[in-house]
Amino acid sequence: MPTLELEVLTPSGSIFHGSVKSVTVPGEEGEFGVLPEHVGLTTLLQAGVIDIIKDNGKKESIVVNWGVVQIASNLVTVLVDGAVAIRGDSESEVAKALDEAKELISSVADSHSMIASVSARIESAAHHQNHTHMI
Amino acid sequence: MANLKEIQRQIKSVSNTQKTTRAMKLVSTAKLRRAEELAKRSRLFAQKTNQVIAEIASRIHCSKIGGIDSRCFVQNDAPKTIDIIFVTADKGLCGGFNLQTIKAVKRLISDCSDKNVNFRLRGIGKKGIEYFNFNQVEMLDEVKNLSSSPDMQRSSEFMTRSIKDFKDGIVDAVYLVYNGYKNVITQELHVNRILPVEVTDFDCEKTTNTVLELEAHDEEAMLDSLVTKYAEFNMYYALIDSVAAEHSARMQAMDAATNNAKQMVKSLTVKYNKARQEAITTELIEIISGVESMK
Repeated sequence: MPTLELEVLTPSGSIFHGSVKSVTVPGEEGEFGVLPEHVGLTTLLQAGVIDIIKDNGKKESIVVNWGVVQIASNLVTVLVDGAVAIRGDSESEVAKALDEAKELISSVADSHSMIASVSARIESAAHHQNHTHMI
Repeated sequence: MANLKEIQRQIKSVSNTQKTTRAMKLVSTAKLRRAEELAKRSRLFAQKTNQVIAEIASRIHCSKIGGIDSRCFVQNDAPKTIDIIFVTADKGLCGGFNLQTIKAVKRLISDCSDKNVNFRLRGIGKKGIEYFNFNQVEMLDEVKNLSSSPDMQRSSEFMTRSIKDFKDGIVDAVYLVYNGYKNVITQELHVNRILPVEVTDFDCEKTTNTVLELEAHDEEAMLDSLVTKYAEFNMYYALIDSVAAEHSARMQAMDAATNNAKQMVKSLTVKYNKARQEAITTELIEIISGVESMK
């Protein structure tokens, strides 16, 4: 099965780089998923969560505040201003990332409903992470 | 004897200077390492951003996306007024680092005068600002203490003023001049045109083959915010690149200064020994001739 090459870059360095099965990004016009062989596309992102399904089937979430995504022949490049990856080796690390992510979102989003919906998404992503640790 | 003391004093003073320069070199080495790391991490982002922008610009140029006549993308061959943004260090003692940037700015200015183009200077960094103030070149905007500790927020604020003037049509082009980091021993001078976006090699044949969709109902708004981010980030990147270059330049300058001081101490010591020998010889001759005369 073909895979996508995903790269998430912030001004202070790369936050994710690797091959993935699919990725869902919060586009300006609404969320959309990208699978291999996607058509070439360049668009803006709004504050939200990028959901990644890695080639080993594991999920990962990255919270972003603004960005632009470029898709070109199985290479997805996401350029973002600020991003926090919800991951960590222990529960406390995940919790710390969670706090950072919430802070990032509340600093950019202007409507409460948006903050709430993104926060909920983050929480569930973190929960998923913790769950995997337990197993 | 007075001569001897004088030389001794000189040796002491030179070796004190040497201590200072060596310490400064060590400080710069440590700071360079950090600045270099920072620049390296941002480099990829800078490259990608510029790539995305360049691609969009070349597409617009090749009219693949019709109906966009944003000022940011239209190539203007005869600008009337331009903004020159330069980045220098806040501190000196870094060899020709600041002067190179200043010279490049002066070249741009003289180019402008030749072509009857108005220019406005926006400066970051004490050294460059002081230079142009001293030479009574008018500065439109100046920011100090930013180039020694780059800060995204402050650099964005600074850049936003320039972007706004560009979008309002007050200026027709924005140039950014800074001395960037190439490797530990070399700096590279950059004179970049930030706005309108520079399209260096547009290959219309090639770009038609790939598909690009700008998926937003308001393409202009999307491009607008993209260009703003692009300009702001380029500014920030220039700052961190410049800091790394500054430290590497200072490291080199201080290394050279330390070596020079070493050489100087060496030759002064030789001089001192010669003078000492001379004094002893004179004294001996005096004693001997005194003894001779007593016989």
